Amino acid sequence: MTTNADKLLGRWLNTNHETRGIAECTVARDDDGINVSVAGVGEDGPIQWPAARATLLENVEEEAGQRTNVLLATFDLGFMRAETHMRINKGVFVIVLFATFLDGSGRANYLNREFFYRQP
Amino acid sequence: MKMQFAQICDLVETESIRERDIDRGALVGNWINSNPDTRSITRVNVFEADGKLQLQAFAVGPGGPIDWGTTTAGVFAAGPASRAGAGFAATFDLGFAEVRLQAMIMKGLLVLAQFHLLKDDSGRASYFMREYYAKTHDLF
Repeated sequence: MTTNADKLLGRWLNTNHETRGIAECTVARDDDGINVSVAGVGEDGPIQWPAARATLLENVEEEAGQRTNVLLATFDLGFMRAETHMRINKGVFVIVLFATFLDGSGRANYLNREFFYRQP
Repeated sequence: MKMQFAQICDLVETESIRERDIDRGALVGNWINSNPDTRSITRVNVFEADGKLQLQAFAVGPGGPIDWGTTTAGVFAAGPASRAGAGFAATFDLGFAEVRLQAMIMKGLLVLAQFHLLKDDSGRASYFMREYYAKTHDLF
């Protein structure tokens, strides 16, 4: 039987082919829970982020008539911390990212939201 | 030293932008839930104090609003080279629960993602909510 959480599993590709942000995201389950892997768009190819353990939360409000789950995951990149949440709305996988720079580069902490479709 | 980045949109040259350099004008205000039947946070007051963005939240209670108190929020811009405030993140530690908030402005609405992480032994599950808030203002 497919649970609501299982609907989040899989490989998700950015709907925007010209994104300069997250290229793709893979959500996988193991014995200990759910892991999330993200690849960012790089100069010469994708940049693989360190995988993050996700916290699974139930979305208590229906979205588009669907009961859904949400993933909460923090990626520690050393120079940057990316706090994200991920959910599905009408089949679209949504990643909301809050980026905090830790390297003193002067860049502003920022937020972004991107949309993904399931790899066919 | 070469600038590190995890996605190419982060590879930007910019003058140093400190948190206090980010314009909080769009964030500051008294925000009320668009859903009058909400059973969660009904009102959020966002203000500045000592150069920091502060957040006071009120939730629906059985006998009237429950004041969660005030916490400091981190300000987030629209991009790594932007000075336009686009949202904030904050955490309320209520003892029995930790509530993490991630907020962003969209078309004048404050979209508030709420992560209610239960810490007590009540057996209640942690949960997520996403609600919309409008900024109150004087009449047009």
